[in-house]
Amino acid sequence: MLRVGVIGLGNMGKLHFMNAMRIKEVSVVAAADKSERSRKFAEEYNVKTYDDYKALIDKEELDAVVISLPNFLKKESVIYAAEHDLDIFLDKPLARNFAEAQEIVQKVEKENVRLMVGVNYRYFPSVQKLMKNFEDGKVGDVVLANSELVMNGPLSHGLVPVPVPDWWLNREMAGGGALLDLGYHLIDIFDLMFSDLRVKYSGLGYRFNLPVEDTAIVMLESGRTLAKCVVNVGWFSKMIFPDFNFRINIHGTVGYDSTERYAPKNLRIHAVKEAALNFGRKISGRKVHYLSYTYYYSSFYEVLETFFEMLKKGVESPISLERQLGVMRIIDEVYRQHGVRANG
Amino acid sequence: MARVVLTSTQTKNFSEKEIDEAVARAVDLLGFNFSGEIENVVIKPNLCYYWDYSTGETTDPRIVSALIDYVRRRLVKDVNIFIAEADASAMKTKYSFKILGYDKLSRRKNVKLVNLSDGDIVDVKVNVDGKEFELPVNKILLESDLIINVPKLKTHNVVRITCALKNMFGAIAKPRKYDYHKMLSYAIVGINEIVRSDIVLVDGLIARGSIPLKLGVLVAGNDSLATDFIAAEIIGINPRDIEYLSLAERERIGTVSSIEIVEDNIKLKEIKNKFPSFGYSRRKFFWEMQLKMLRMYAALVGDVIPPVLEQ
Repeated sequence: MLRVGVIGLGNMGKLHFMNAMRIKEVSVVAAADKSERSRKFAEEYNVKTYDDYKALIDKEELDAVVISLPNFLKKESVIYAAEHDLDIFLDKPLARNFAEAQEIVQKVEKENVRLMVGVNYRYFPSVQKLMKNFEDGKVGDVVLANSELVMNGPLSHGLVPVPVPDWWLNREMAGGGALLDLGYHLIDIFDLMFSDLRVKYSGLGYRFNLPVEDTAIVMLESGRTLAKCVVNVGWFSKMIFPDFNFRINIHGTVGYDSTERYAPKNLRIHAVKEAALNFGRKISGRKVHYLSYTYYYSSFYEVLETFFEMLKKGVESPISLERQLGVMRIIDEVYRQHGVRANG
Repeated sequence: MARVVLTSTQTKNFSEKEIDEAVARAVDLLGFNFSGEIENVVIKPNLCYYWDYSTGETTDPRIVSALIDYVRRRLVKDVNIFIAEADASAMKTKYSFKILGYDKLSRRKNVKLVNLSDGDIVDVKVNVDGKEFELPVNKILLESDLIINVPKLKTHNVVRITCALKNMFGAIAKPRKYDYHKMLSYAIVGINEIVRSDIVLVDGLIARGSIPLKLGVLVAGNDSLATDFIAAEIIGINPRDIEYLSLAERERIGTVSSIEIVEDNIKLKEIKNKFPSFGYSRRKFFWEMQLKMLRMYAALVGDVIPPVLEQ
């Protein structure tokens, strides 16, 4: 049984907490958050809580931690966990900037602990299907690829309204805006498909007059395949769950493919269908596909389960830190082109 | 007698010139008397969240800009003009002023932005329908000589419509207004007892019902309640079916027995026909049913409910 601590109980932390509780041979023994309300959430599941993640790491006997902290706390928390010989699951992005990411990677390598970044978009069924077709050569050599991911970002409005935490809108604390938050996923997928990506063009937008960009367009070129990939991301769109504005289109020498082909056409019908299937799985004793009814959130379960499987089986991480550093390098390059850099 | 003016822009391009002209027509036709001693003017837009004017959720800063020019022209002297909004449960004015374009506007027009949750705040006792309670109110509202309320023409998930009276609820100094939701109608009427709007100018350039729609409409009123009654009619809801409007009528927040409707270049019926109706009861029923089914499913199967849907 893996003994796990969850650090940070914001929306993502809570989701990881609940997902981890459903993964076989994983026991969530403690959680940490500054907010009393968030700690109460964990206590309702009879999980011990701390208001300081360092106390959690110091006092609990753990195998791993799941870190969902604001970007400005990532480096120090990962380093602290690594120094205590803990394996780490970390929400993307890896860090605020490339230099900080390098420090993190050097530290976990030095301490010989495992670190996996939760790039969950790789785990969308539609992305996996697209990548499989690409790898099988069904579209030929891909020459052009286009991706779009537009939503509210930190400005999303839950059922119970809570203010956007200040760090999200502070470049120094967040490291960046829509590009670092959303572009990270798309660059990660393109890097996985084409590798050796270089920035050919980039544009950042500030419709909302904030210190961080709410829009980004980046054109990348693969040094290996010469594929040209466009990343379009934005935080500017008022979207209410379950609406989801994401797609990747690839155009090759044989044909084209799109995640739209494999994504549910109607998310409500999809939810009903998946709920019925899960009900069947439950009563027949098979494994429930957690959160599959949401389409979007199931990928968080998948990536976390992959992390724990990696630890249990002692296998190589499918999400290599070298590639994650590559993603951070590209994002840094874009910010450098526009004269904006985060401290770190 | 309450007067409500209906006017519209000539096109849906919403150029500054068009908006300036429509604002001037609307307030001119209202016949407001600007001759008194006016030193401090407060303009209260609806900046309920970080969704900008294009979504139909928040007041278009170009209307506020036109109003500032209009007020300066009419008063023929330099007065203090404040654009005021309070923090809300999920919104901080320090961000909404920036995100929604009011920061730029204040610099361009040399007016002050005021966070009504900061500064001198007093607890004001109010009695609504026999219920006595206190509301924290910024002194700037209590001491102003002219309050111009610039709400949106839109529907609301909880109270069905949000217009002039509900916009002033946003002026209560306490940021966590969610705490008032159990006594929402009383709080809405209470704040309007304390702070009366002298002029209401409803932003219906982009109205929001089931969808946002470019209507190009402005509704001006000299009485918040009367203006809300007309707004409810446009939206397609009987105003007396809305709890806080009925309560406001009983509390004599305004006059609705005789409303003079001035149709400038557009008819009430025409606006009503164009408004994207909301189907409030149907939507509410389906949304609540979906949530109930989701909770039941999650309990039966042991699945997770995303935190974004937590209540």
